[in-house]
Amino acid sequence: MSPDPWVRAYDLLPVMLSVLLTGALVTLQVTAGAFVLAIGIGLVFAVLRTMPARLPRLIAATYVQVFRGVPVLTQLFVIYFGLAELGLRLDPLTAAIIGFGINGGAYLTEVFRAGIESIHQGQIEAAYMLGMTRMMGLRIIVLPQAVRVVLPPLGNFAVGLLKDTALASAVAAPELTFRGRTLVDQTYLSTQVYLLVAAIYLAMSLPLAHFVRRLELRLGRGRA
Amino acid sequence: MGWPALLAAWMPELLAAARGTIEMTALAFVLAATLGLALALARLSRIGLLSRSAFVYIEVVRGMPAVTLLFLIYFGLTSFGIALYAFAAAVIGLGLNGAAYLAEVYRAGIEAIHPGQREAAQMIGMRHGQVLREVVLPQALAVVLPPMGNYVIALLKDTSIASLISAPELMLRARDLTSEYFMPMQLYLLVGAMYLGMAYPLARAVRFMELRLARGR
Repeated sequence: MSPDPWVRAYDLLPVMLSVLLTGALVTLQVTAGAFVLAIGIGLVFAVLRTMPARLPRLIAATYVQVFRGVPVLTQLFVIYFGLAELGLRLDPLTAAIIGFGINGGAYLTEVFRAGIESIHQGQIEAAYMLGMTRMMGLRIIVLPQAVRVVLPPLGNFAVGLLKDTALASAVAAPELTFRGRTLVDQTYLSTQVYLLVAAIYLAMSLPLAHFVRRLELRLGRGRA
Repeated sequence: MGWPALLAAWMPELLAAARGTIEMTALAFVLAATLGLALALARLSRIGLLSRSAFVYIEVVRGMPAVTLLFLIYFGLTSFGIALYAFAAAVIGLGLNGAAYLAEVYRAGIEAIHPGQREAAQMIGMRHGQVLREVVLPQALAVVLPPMGNYVIALLKDTSIASLISAPELMLRARDLTSEYFMPMQLYLLVGAMYLGMAYPLARAVRFMELRLARGR
């Protein structure tokens, strides 16, 4: 074993990279799963949030306030450790996807609500006049237009989510950060391993952020 | 043990730990706000190298998870002979992370001021620094305050990740108590409620400020 940690890290690079890249795949998996779940939850609660009746609005507002007021790490621990205490033992990956999905759903509820509210009320009234139901009006008139308003914040959410999934390491989901921690335990090369981990996150998040920025510019230009 | 006994055992410890959370939030905020301003000014500077370094810092730090930055500072620096207290490492990590975010907020604030005002200030003989200090920054403040408020709320919640490097704050105490009492559901719900109890009033205050500032304009 070479005494210099940088030389040792260089020797171990292929092994470390293969371990970390396997983790990066899981990171992408958690991100994608939570993203889809958050969109579903966000859509449902955004519709509730913009209903004329009081009760659904109150329920949606409470959901948003509570889940945006509590750290996502706490929410993960409730889902993973808390539910296990009640006999519901989720595997770490599922717990992470559910946790980030529910947490992200609260954020996206507000994003989607802003999208729905950006459509002029007159269009919805016109849809009623044509004999459409509320759901038809939402689906056919409002949502297709709201998509343009919603896409940029949705993209930024995806970038944020990708980085947030690092917290899934705390419930032992085998994603990038968790693999990094395991490698550090085995090699004691904390500086080198975490620098690699950081570089891999950058390699995923920077292109995604760049893509979102381009999308923003495209949509902005289309509207002017 | 019933609820009253449990709460009597837990609450003093959790409240003491919540103090750590608040202190960590405040210190990291001060660091992020100062360093963020320096970064924003560097980013807008006409000196290419300065501007480009600030850009790279912002992109790199915003591109990685805050946990990774904390790990690099707390575990990674030890190989350079720098061993920080977990609390200090958390404050520095969250501060460095927040600075990159706030730099973009400041930049948006500064760029929101019409360039005609700068030109006018230069015409009446003000120097570059004076223009910034007396004309641009006071107005940019109104643009910057609401997102800064939202950042404080996010930061308050983000301090929970400091528990992953064993920095003394609310989440770490909850984890310790969990391994002592084996009641994760009760403890994490309680701690969640405590975070909510801190974040909700803050969110209301930011909302109020937003409405006030919007009316003023």
